[in-house]
Amino acid sequence: MLRRTEGIVLKTALFGEADLIVTHLTSDFGLIKTFAKSPRKIKSRFGSSLEPLTYSKISFWGKEDANLPRLTQSDIILSFQLIRDRLECFLKVSEILELTASFLPEHEANRKVFMLLLDVLKETEKDCTLPLHIILYKIRFLNLIGYAPRLDGCANCGKTGFSFYISHGSVICERCITGMDSPIKLSPASIKLYESLSRWDLSLIERIKPSRNLLAELSDMLNDHIRYRLTRPLKSGAFHKVF
Amino acid sequence: MAQGIIENLITELTKLPGIGRKTAQRLAFFMLTMSEDSAKAIAKAITDVKEKARFCSRCFNITDSELCEICRDESRDKANICVVEEPSNILVVERAKAFNGLYHVLLGSISLIDGITPDKLRISELVERVRGDSVSEVILATNPNTKGEMTAQYIKDALKSLNVRVTRIAYGLPIGSDIEFADEVTLSKALEGRREI
Repeated sequence: MLRRTEGIVLKTALFGEADLIVTHLTSDFGLIKTFAKSPRKIKSRFGSSLEPLTYSKISFWGKEDANLPRLTQSDIILSFQLIRDRLECFLKVSEILELTASFLPEHEANRKVFMLLLDVLKETEKDCTLPLHIILYKIRFLNLIGYAPRLDGCANCGKTGFSFYISHGSVICERCITGMDSPIKLSPASIKLYESLSRWDLSLIERIKPSRNLLAELSDMLNDHIRYRLTRPLKSGAFHKVF
Repeated sequence: MAQGIIENLITELTKLPGIGRKTAQRLAFFMLTMSEDSAKAIAKAITDVKEKARFCSRCFNITDSELCEICRDESRDKANICVVEEPSNILVVERAKAFNGLYHVLLGSISLIDGITPDKLRISELVERVRGDSVSEVILATNPNTKGEMTAQYIKDALKSLNVRVTRIAYGLPIGSDIEFADEVTLSKALEGRREI
């Protein structure tokens, strides 16, 4: 059965001499892996459409339950080449690509996640020096798939708390803390920033001007939370620190 | 018994890239008809490669001695270094007969998802080489894809402090193709890299 949809390339893996296995986040089928025949050859009809980040119209052929359908066509809608052209921009974005590919199950459509990734890539392409887009994506993505850390109140009683417990995925108030491991201490400002990034319109995000320390505090908490949920750190996150 | 050894040969041949069971079967039966000397020559060539092949201590090309043939060749222009991802890329560039300098093989490219960081490639050796030898130009001939591009940008930054010209091979349309079928990224890169004629 031939199926058509729109997708964003998250990653590719080499297969055989000139073939690729391409992981797309699609609007209609969620995360899918397809087999692309000979895209690495110079005269391949796929051209540059299978490079990571490319948003394209794709067609693929295979049984409905096929694990690896064959990619038959890919026409670029947006290439996001400006992000790929700059090493520091691509490094930032790589983290969210890996996050998306790691958390999402295959063949489960989630149009909101798809639109979120597309919107964040569009904003990042305009100005990739803004650090908030990546944190915003992490927060909203985790929220959409049900893994968001809870910072609006204690997991037990709902009261305000500033001690975040990774194993609970939530803040716990002073009264409910009994015999628990050491928490991540959060400042009220970082909790407010978290709430703002969860709700504010993406196009208005650049109006938020958090301090470097505040960003680092929220970012570290999110990365620890992601590492705990994934049971491993993001490879691209570690790579980012090398530079 | 004979069936067993042929089956074993077929199984071994299918381990080669691009060789399916049917091709392996055809190759195996062809080998049966070969002269003993020819068959032994193939077997010896494979064993020799596995026993003697090593990386050139200067450029990391495949060789059977300390330095590869290209590094030993006195007629080559030592001021130019062409940086490639894999030793097999050298053969392709050599076939083009358009470059007479030396090479440096990175043995891979930076890949975030696969955890291949710059320290796992031969980038620091390249920097040392450029610093120590009288190199005037480094040509980055990594693959024109995201991984290759990231590797090229990283090397450009790593060589920034050294007094050397760093260039990247051109992007563009393959000869013999039709402009109508080019994708927008390739075409925009080809336009960016246009030159006066």
